[in-house]
Amino acid sequence: MNDLAVRFTGVTKKYPHFTLQNVNLELPTGSIMGFVGANGAGKSTTIRILMGLIHQDSGAVEVLGHAMPADQAAAKRDIGFVSEDMRLYGPATVAWHMEFIRSIYPQWDQPYAESLLQRFDLKPQQKIKGLSHGQRVKSALLLALARRPRLLVLDEPTTGLDPVARREVLAELTAVLADEDRTIFFSSQNTLDVEQISDQITFIDRGRIIDSANKEIFLDRWRRLRLMLPPNTALPHLPGVVEVGGSSRLPVLTICQFEPAMVAACQEAGASVQAVDPMTLEEIFVVNVQNRRDRAIA
Amino acid sequence: MNTYVVTRLILKDWYLNFGLFVAALVLGFATLAAIAAAKATMLAVILGTIVLVTILIGMGAVVMSSPFNERKQQTLPFVMSLPVSYLEYTTSKIVGSLLIFGALWLALLLGIVATILITPWFPHGMIPFVVIMAVEVLVSTCLIAAVSVTTESQGWTIGVTQVGALGLNAVGFSIVRLPGIGHAMSGPTIQWSSTATLLLLVEFAAIVLMIGIAFWVQSRKRDFV
Repeated sequence: MNDLAVRFTGVTKKYPHFTLQNVNLELPTGSIMGFVGANGAGKSTTIRILMGLIHQDSGAVEVLGHAMPADQAAAKRDIGFVSEDMRLYGPATVAWHMEFIRSIYPQWDQPYAESLLQRFDLKPQQKIKGLSHGQRVKSALLLALARRPRLLVLDEPTTGLDPVARREVLAELTAVLADEDRTIFFSSQNTLDVEQISDQITFIDRGRIIDSANKEIFLDRWRRLRLMLPPNTALPHLPGVVEVGGSSRLPVLTICQFEPAMVAACQEAGASVQAVDPMTLEEIFVVNVQNRRDRAIA
Repeated sequence: MNTYVVTRLILKDWYLNFGLFVAALVLGFATLAAIAAAKATMLAVILGTIVLVTILIGMGAVVMSSPFNERKQQTLPFVMSLPVSYLEYTTSKIVGSLLIFGALWLALLLGIVATILITPWFPHGMIPFVVIMAVEVLVSTCLIAAVSVTTESQGWTIGVTQVGALGLNAVGFSIVRLPGIGHAMSGPTIQWSSTATLLLLVEFAAIVLMIGIAFWVQSRKRDFV
């Protein structure tokens, strides 16, 4: 069995005003990858290529052992896909959609679908056009989950949800993670959602993957060092400093390769370490993107 | 070709269009009944024909613009998340739309022919003209289907719907002047001329050509959503 659910190798896709450039991405089976980027960063383009909905100009994409887009029909037998711009058929009921998907997917799990109906507080006979946005997202999620896919691809599923609906959706996704063979590729602008459920994080900006790592490694290696420098003392040279803020006397260093030994190195250089602050994923993302953009301009 | 999933997609479209189909069928047969009940008045025939043509063109436009509507209503990502290739999706759209429209078209065509045959004052010689014009409606509808599937554009779909409606008038006006068609129209018996056969062959060839082009264009597309 292939231990990679998704593999992108040198994938490029050009549009008149946007280019997805040389994307290399690996998603191990059983992992949950949070795919984070600003609007227009290339998240949806990447996901559409993953689903075989658009063809890459160059590079190779393999999903569940199938080459995409050539073998997309076979790959999609084991994929559940929900995207923010996906709509169900307004005149039809939730029950009709469930029956429609059940007729296509032999692995459809009816008891699980019914339990999701209850958990999401959906009424089977309700027409889609009468549902709120949150209920529509939950319906789409139910249809994707109850087909018991090996790979769940979610393109900003929590966008536009109220806090209660968002929490319910995230709780269900967390429950799905109990199945170790289930792989999830989850894009979002909301770093809190990603931080909550992902074990792998990938940042994308302006069509390029700018960072990709295990979540714990990500959170461990980024730190803010708050220093106090005596007069006439130079800032210590540390590897991986991406941003220097604060004042000349009280500098704040943002570091992407933090090691505990750096604290001692600062003290040896004459600086006093006031604090070593962990960073949230959102802070890491913003600094990372800004740093890459600044370097690109320079 | 995954015929099972394609069939499910066709049944899905059938379900979504069923209400409209029944309404069009009821209205069409009600119109035919009204024509048959009217006393040999030209006004009843003209009004009835306008209603029937409007039903067919309207239903054709609605059903055949389904690919464009899938994009507009953002249901295309849902369909394309299913285990189908884009060519299979195209097949389901064209075949499904033609089946839904074809069922209505055939029912109304048979109804029109039956009305002509059982209504004493209708000249049976009209039947070849009626059949040719009915197939012309089918040609026009296939044009809408081909353009809607390949462009997924509201503008283009509306444009060809209008061109098709105008083309129908032009074709009707032209063929009624053909000796093999026009002369026999007011006669009491059906006279199927070689001109009528040729016109039907040309119409069916146009249908095959348009659908073939639609599939060819779709097979070359690289981006679908």
